[in-house]
Amino acid sequence: MLELEQVETYYGKVQALKGISFRVEERGIVTLLGANGAGKTTTLRTISGLIPLSRGTIRFSGERIENRSPERIVKRGISHVPEGRDLFPDLTVDENLAMGAYTRKDRNEIQRSLKRVFDSFPALGKRRKQHAGTLSGGEQQMLAIGRALMSTPRLILLDEPSLGLAPLLVQEIFKIIREINQEGTTILLVEQNANMALQVAQYGYVLETGRVALQGDTSQLLQDRHVRETYLAIKR
Amino acid sequence: MIIQVIVSGIATGCIYALMALGLTLIYKSTEHVNFAQGDMSMISGFIAFTFFQLLRLPLRLSLCLALLSSVAIGLLMYRLLIRPAIKAPHFNIFIITLGASIVIQSFSGLVWSYDQFPFPSVFPNRNMTIGMIRLNAISVGIIGVTGLLMLMLFLFFKCTKIGTAMRAVSQSQRAALLMGINVKRSFALTWAISGLISGIAALLIAPVIFLSTRMGLVVINGFAGAILGGWGSIPGAVLGGIGLGILENVAPYYFPSQIRNIIPFAVLVGVLVIKPTGIMGEERRKRV
Repeated sequence: MLELEQVETYYGKVQALKGISFRVEERGIVTLLGANGAGKTTTLRTISGLIPLSRGTIRFSGERIENRSPERIVKRGISHVPEGRDLFPDLTVDENLAMGAYTRKDRNEIQRSLKRVFDSFPALGKRRKQHAGTLSGGEQQMLAIGRALMSTPRLILLDEPSLGLAPLLVQEIFKIIREINQEGTTILLVEQNANMALQVAQYGYVLETGRVALQGDTSQLLQDRHVRETYLAIKR
Repeated sequence: MIIQVIVSGIATGCIYALMALGLTLIYKSTEHVNFAQGDMSMISGFIAFTFFQLLRLPLRLSLCLALLSSVAIGLLMYRLLIRPAIKAPHFNIFIITLGASIVIQSFSGLVWSYDQFPFPSVFPNRNMTIGMIRLNAISVGIIGVTGLLMLMLFLFFKCTKIGTAMRAVSQSQRAALLMGINVKRSFALTWAISGLISGIAALLIAPVIFLSTRMGLVVINGFAGAILGGWGSIPGAVLGGIGLGILENVAPYYFPSQIRNIIPFAVLVGVLVIKPTGIMGEERRKRV
């Protein structure tokens, strides 16, 4: 469904991605692992059109989407839940969700999506008129995911959804990620929490300094000595 | 008598509030400070003047054309000066707009001279009586138009999808891009609205203070109003501007009339000493 081929991206003069290739199959959950600065967030931002790519191709459902505007990429069906949630803090929960549906026109369809978001996240339903900046960390993450769902994406890019959340909430968020996937949405997940990510995903890529260092089924990666030592902090 | 003074103070304050509002909208969207706001206003006044005085078009038509050009002026400012430098530090943009202010003023001086010209008001220049109070119709007109404009802007930003998107852009450009919002278009729209507000301000104030190429200096009072109310706050800009206007009109009523230009700024300094963020200003809320 999504296919990156030899993608290179620069931040100013620094090369952040040095030729990354990977695939995400339809209806799958794929995770990108790696340390800080490995290029995970840059990869997601390149896919969603926030950063121009200097080389390589990105295909989505067979169509080339590299260097399209974020607006056109959202319309194609890719939604990005950014690092650190990046909500609109002074807009209400309702307004944040409405912005998620910005590219859509049909009011009835939007209402239906809104209802689905509140079904998945009942906590948000009680805070519809509250400013996003006043929500708790867990609620903010739910709102960020809900906002991304409002564009009825076929593929969701999730950047560190567990960041800064208590362990119980992390479990909750991963349960929701599974549910979203079971309803038919493909997921590309970036995580520091490698343990959780490898449990929920079927396939994983390990990024190291802008390159794919390792890839495989998550069951294999969980057994891999390098992954265990570096990302799961398990000693032999 | 004091009520009349206060009402004419509110009318003056409305002009400051409109200036402050134009400044604040631009600041909130891109954090740029537009020193040329007053001169954008002045040039709209002269465009109206050109239409009805020199080209002999009907007054109302001239004023409508001037408002259309004020929107165009806002868009031109954005497209020619701001967008090419959008990645420059904000201080550089401030200097760019300061330069634009000087250029517009000198250019207008060349075209229209530095004289003062009388400017007709759409409102009749007579007094109206409400109960015991006699009010000047021009003041009431200024207050009415300003109030209506504020209400329309409030509804636009609060209730329309585009208005909400513009607020979203002012809070996080990156997230707004990810929603599929066209951020550049949102900036352009902000400048267009700001231009329109400056145009309306010109048409309201020119009949009171005469039309002149120096009237753009009213931007200073706009800044003072916006800072008094709390820089970056829209309700603050409105309240600060109106408060400043009232002070400026009421002070000479009790003190020697030379105090007129001193009191507002003395109060501004006083307020900022007690509350550095201004009346409605708040500490920047932590971003999520």
